[in-house]
Amino acid sequence: MHMTAIAATAATLLLATLTAVAQGTASVEGTVTLPKPTAQAKPTSRYTGQTGALAAPEPPTAIVYLEGVPLLPEDKPATNVVQVVQKGMQFGLGLLVVRRGTRVEFPNGDDFYHNVFSYSKAKRFDLGRFLKDEKPAAVTFDQPGVVKLYCEIHEHMRGSVLVLDTPYFVKTDTNGVYRLTGLPAGQFKLKAWIDEKLVHELPVDLKAGAPTRVNFPGSP
Amino acid sequence: MKALPTAALFLLMFAAQPAYAQEELLQRLDDSLSYQSSKGFFRSELSGLVDIEGYFIDHRPPGLLFGNADLFNPRLSLFLDTHLGEQFYSLVQFRADRGFDPRTVPDGDVRFDEYLLRWTPWADGRLNVQAGKFATVFGKWVQRHDSWQNPFITAPLAYENVTTVTDQAAPGTRAAFLGRRNLPDQKATWLPVVWGPAYSSGASAFGQLNKFNYAFEFKNAAISARPTAWDAQDLGWENPTVSARLAHTPNAAWNYGVSASHGAYLLPAADATVPGGYGRNSYRQTTIGTDLSWSHHGWQVWGEAIVARFQVPNVGNADTFTYFIETKYKFTPNLFAAVRWNQQLFDTVPDGAGGAQHWDRNVFRVDTALGYRFTRHLQGKLQYSFLHENGPIQQGEQLLAAQLTIKF
Repeated sequence: MHMTAIAATAATLLLATLTAVAQGTASVEGTVTLPKPTAQAKPTSRYTGQTGALAAPEPPTAIVYLEGVPLLPEDKPATNVVQVVQKGMQFGLGLLVVRRGTRVEFPNGDDFYHNVFSYSKAKRFDLGRFLKDEKPAAVTFDQPGVVKLYCEIHEHMRGSVLVLDTPYFVKTDTNGVYRLTGLPAGQFKLKAWIDEKLVHELPVDLKAGAPTRVNFPGSP
Repeated sequence: MKALPTAALFLLMFAAQPAYAQEELLQRLDDSLSYQSSKGFFRSELSGLVDIEGYFIDHRPPGLLFGNADLFNPRLSLFLDTHLGEQFYSLVQFRADRGFDPRTVPDGDVRFDEYLLRWTPWADGRLNVQAGKFATVFGKWVQRHDSWQNPFITAPLAYENVTTVTDQAAPGTRAAFLGRRNLPDQKATWLPVVWGPAYSSGASAFGQLNKFNYAFEFKNAAISARPTAWDAQDLGWENPTVSARLAHTPNAAWNYGVSASHGAYLLPAADATVPGGYGRNSYRQTTIGTDLSWSHHGWQVWGEAIVARFQVPNVGNADTFTYFIETKYKFTPNLFAAVRWNQQLFDTVPDGAGGAQHWDRNVFRVDTALGYRFTRHLQGKLQYSFLHENGPIQQGEQLLAAQLTIKF
């Protein structure tokens, strides 16, 4: 076969593949077995006593995401903005999942100061102390990985941001139920991220138009 | 105490490990040192600070650093915080070190520095009642005095500069009292205005009402009292000290407060030396202070001004004014710097010859510090201080100090 014809055929096949991937007609759903909620850690104020009402932390959830999908040329880092409100001396979202490039704002919903900092490898930052009424402090998560969030004023506050390269992710509800739609058909890995030490992984064969059921831990 | 250098070497080796390895180890330690009942009614958490400090001084050590030379000072502080339901809280602070103030017990010492039981009847914190041995409510610095929060290694001048007032005996004459100005600090017998966090024993009530905070305490010893007088077993409440603080927080950035303290400062040993017809309860320390703090983004600023009057037997009122202003700025998530200006001025007392003289040497000190938080559990600080006293004796004119803190 002439080289030009071979190149044209290869390009057609590649285009067909990419088109199939881009179509995003498959879906997957199921449940993730979540850890039991632990009793809320109490803030310790050795010298000043209680300084405000403490909200309940977000119950455990998990992030389910698809790994191994080739990125398309138009798959650029996200440019959206997400908010995590600090209120009742808790991070409003104890677990947040974003795509690389997402900007996250941290409005202060309390009448006293909050701070957000992280020493994680994926993002090292400190937003200082900021007030309720001022423009929310923000940070852009530009590297994939896990970013642990803390407040230097309220040591009991904990949060995590899972930064992913893929656009195919979803957060479970507090019962562990998830449904991930708009996926490409094909064979990939499906992961359920609960925390840094507990990540489940299963192979999936996604078919267009037919929902696939996957429970974690367990068999698809 | 041969174990101390070994322990210090171990800790330095630990600090030299990669940050992620330390972080993981200390996080695991953190997680394993707490116990919580299934529904969270009972929760107890053990935490701690390991400090390794070195002080390099060109004269006799200043402030509450004891001894006569450079100093190596390791310290282990353990905190047991326990919550019982929503209303009860207890704290126990245990320390192993070379004395509460560095090198007061060169061969090593272990103590319970704080222990308290607190009752908080309402969740909004309008009232807390506590009893035990705990830090004074006077002033604002005490709330951030531990090595992790204090941007410096030493305390402000007001909380550590030793004056010529003693709690051990009445001076024989005014001339004898004034003569102390020409002596190096006698730290075993003289007093500062406030002795560090003043962990004396007693009870307090405090709380928050809208934008106001109040605190009142009834303690066994004056705020200037030395650590050996803080324990109720050593000094009862026959001659108590009452202290109070009222503060207003107009918004999250600002806080200002006024404090007052009044009580006998002489120890039982002085009873035999006071003039006939008087007891040690006749001689009081009265202290009034004001504090102001502001913070925003990477900046934190604190200032305190304190006026103290010691009623000195055979002398009269010995008044002093001391203040400091301190600022900290965080350059990066890890790096911060701090500067503090301190001054203490002494009023005059009659000299017995028809005149009046300043009863101690006026002093100023500038403190500078650079700190680095390697991780959430490891911090290093360097401090340089320049101190100058009006008079022929300089004590610790230049001080260089380093501190490594591991928090878990």
